[in-house]
Amino acid sequence: MNKTSKGLRLAAVGAVVALALAACGGGSGSSDAGGGAEPTKGGTLYYLTNAEQFDQIDPQRIYTGEDLAFFNGTIYRTLTAYKFSPDAAEATSIVADLATDTGTATNGGKTWEFTIRDGATFQDGSPVTCADVAYGTSRTFATDVITGGPTYAISMLDIPTLEDGSSAYKGPYTGEGQELFDKAVTCSADGKTITFNLSRPVPDFNYAVTLTAFAPVPKASDTGEKYGDAPVSSGPYKIESNKNGKGGKMILVRNDKWDPASDDYRKAYPDIWEVDYGLDVKVIDQRLITSSGNDATALALGLEPEQLGVIYKSATEANPEFAGRAISELDPYVRYLAINVQKVPNLKIRQAIAVALDRDALRKNAGGDFAGDYADGVIKPNMGVDYAPTGMWDSLLGAKIPDAGDPELAKKLIAESGEAAPTITFDYPQSPTADKAAAIVVDSLGKAGITAKPNPIEPGQYYGVVFDPEQAHELINAGWGPDWPNASTIIPELFTPTGGFNLSQYDNAEFNAAVEAAKIEPDRAKQAKMWQDLNTLAMKDVVVVPTRFGREQRIVGKQIGPVYLWPAYGSWPYGEMYAVQQ
Amino acid sequence: MLALELAVADGPATPVANEVASRSLRQIVWARLRRDKLAMICLLTLIFLYLLAIFAPLICDLLGVDPYSFDKESISDSGGGPVGPWGGISTEHPLGVEWGTGRDIFAQLLYGLRISLLIATTATILTVCFGTVLGIVSGYARGKTDAVIGRIMDLILAFPFLLIILALSGVLTQRLTQLGVPDGNPSRILYLIIVLSIFGWPYLARIVRGQVLSVREREFVESSVAMGASRFRILFKEILPNLWAPILVYATLTLPTYIGTEAALSFLGVGVLPPDTSFGGMLGNSVSYFSVVPSYLFIPGTVLVVLVVTFNLVGDAVRDALDPRAGRV
Repeated sequence: MNKTSKGLRLAAVGAVVALALAACGGGSGSSDAGGGAEPTKGGTLYYLTNAEQFDQIDPQRIYTGEDLAFFNGTIYRTLTAYKFSPDAAEATSIVADLATDTGTATNGGKTWEFTIRDGATFQDGSPVTCADVAYGTSRTFATDVITGGPTYAISMLDIPTLEDGSSAYKGPYTGEGQELFDKAVTCSADGKTITFNLSRPVPDFNYAVTLTAFAPVPKASDTGEKYGDAPVSSGPYKIESNKNGKGGKMILVRNDKWDPASDDYRKAYPDIWEVDYGLDVKVIDQRLITSSGNDATALALGLEPEQLGVIYKSATEANPEFAGRAISELDPYVRYLAINVQKVPNLKIRQAIAVALDRDALRKNAGGDFAGDYADGVIKPNMGVDYAPTGMWDSLLGAKIPDAGDPELAKKLIAESGEAAPTITFDYPQSPTADKAAAIVVDSLGKAGITAKPNPIEPGQYYGVVFDPEQAHELINAGWGPDWPNASTIIPELFTPTGGFNLSQYDNAEFNAAVEAAKIEPDRAKQAKMWQDLNTLAMKDVVVVPTRFGREQRIVGKQIGPVYLWPAYGSWPYGEMYAVQQ
Repeated sequence: MLALELAVADGPATPVANEVASRSLRQIVWARLRRDKLAMICLLTLIFLYLLAIFAPLICDLLGVDPYSFDKESISDSGGGPVGPWGGISTEHPLGVEWGTGRDIFAQLLYGLRISLLIATTATILTVCFGTVLGIVSGYARGKTDAVIGRIMDLILAFPFLLIILALSGVLTQRLTQLGVPDGNPSRILYLIIVLSIFGWPYLARIVRGQVLSVREREFVESSVAMGASRFRILFKEILPNLWAPILVYATLTLPTYIGTEAALSFLGVGVLPPDTSFGGMLGNSVSYFSVVPSYLFIPGTVLVVLVVTFNLVGDAVRDALDPRAGRV
């Protein structure tokens, strides 16, 4: 992957779409529909947010899980999509959406074919053809214009790369290398069948096309960088107006050209979706708790720590008055501290850092039970087959490590390393909670004789700084969730030089080769075992110190349903949400 | 005359009378101040707060608390909130514990007060020095000197102060480190002191300059000029004593403002690094938990209010003592 596209990806960070999940112990009542009434059409659903705008609205540039779920459920149809279900296994299985089925792989998984469904149209009534899907896909290659989105199209399609690592195809705007793309993605004469030719077998390519990066875009309406201002809808809603900033709103109204017969995936219950931007987080919480007037059909994304005690009896159970409208579930993300192996090449020192770290205090600071469970690797149990305990804290580092860290063992490891106790710097995006976490890192490493210096970075610039090898320090705060339920969106991204999120700057030839082999392994069970082993291997080499499998709390108004955290994206199931009619 | 006659008439009283006659301005002011009960209470409170700050480590040791150690027992395992009412106030933690970490609030308050007072006091002293000297020079010299200093003041006042502080913090703290200031908090604190005083002095200098413009036309100044007094003497012995009232009032108002500015900057990420907390950091942190643990806001808030009010009252009293004719309206 070339440098530019790498830069882009980073920006999307935190964002990474996530998949998989669940398991969540308990999650009491979380899957009950609010009010318990039968879903009916009509009404307005309100999406209250602290953000002053969506990061991206352009389908090829969206990369945050929540936004993918929202826009996929309302305005962008994709070839395949995840099932709506609170159950992780089911929600991480795909169904046909714009395509008639979930795709056909031939040529050993190197060629994938999808047939476009009859009756699928854009908001102007023109039919969606495979040329539109191909055109949408091609936009990802214009890495100078279409920034921020996932770049799987670039890494997977059979298009040669240039010496500098960038693709020989430069996107539809310059047209350079267009014939290469037209060979890799072909469209049948009747406009129905699209074929993707891949550079290597990708057994889960039909999962990749759930990303809106593979959504259709009509060439005539493409305004390049500005396409996100007035995107063309293929779903049941269209953007009527969008005004960013405090007090701004996005209004989605019904797309009357959308034919329900062509779409058995989206339920399209509400008449209107209204997104209210720039609200204070405290105000959002208070409004949802009160749930009066329009707020009865409102939803939001997070909860401030101070409200947790008000709403929840325990980390898995809401108080009776909030039963059915408050959820607390494992989210798709793993939180960890990446260790820059270029700056800390000595394994014993890395082990000492992992051993000394007080993960107990870090978890408590993040909210204790509400913040999730201790992590033992970068693959979460709710990933299903790809997860196996790594034993990181039991035996992998030579002894059982208590959650609160073991400074004595860390000191011993430093003595064995043959180096003096190191001085390291801890990069983190600044917030009051993160400042306290930094204090914990400094204190607990200090007990083992490691001098740690906190380096708070302005959150908006965070990933720009830590992905710059010149500016990144030894210890880097991070979090990652898979793009779809296959560790091929985790291990290669985090631990290989071609990955987009290799904060550790890890480059181990043996490891890279094993990753390449796992990527193309067609037998899913064997592949899962390979990912499990690679996860363990990375932990053994202490490339990162996993701290937490995250958990998330959210509430909605009293008259909205269904209320569950959709494991596919760790988001609300926008495509099937409804307002309970009075 | 009368005193002289009395002295002549009443021999033994002479030394007393002489003493009265030779009382310096400082002594007069102090005598007047001592009579003002409210001012004395405020002054003692201020001294007490400064002593608390200076001897923070000692006091914390005596009470068996410290601002850096994490007390996991005192916070809940679900949510991370303090166990017990009012932010976990107990005999062990007299003012409660911090959310999520269990660090002692009382110890943090003392250490925070230390950093905040260090920054605000030093910056105020520097501001007053720069502002007074440049204001007097500018007002007395007039002409080119006045124009140059005046334009510099305008320039500094026109700068978007907060943005500059935020933008330059990274670069300048690094530069300070290169100049030999220890990395981390020392250079960050020094940076805050420097920027606060650089952007603060023009306000005082303008006030001083205005005063100087009127004072310099007074007879006593003209007579010293006529007597051939040096310029330094005229500026700092003749004119300066007439400016103490505005300067002291300005200083007592500036100090609490700087504590507030430091709080705001800490909130924006330019303040001290963890694990240290300043006063501002504590206030900033309290915002997220206000509806559940109001004491997080009220404890540092109360101390801040006490600081500001006592400083203002002392300032008022000093001004009255310096210039009793001005009186209170």
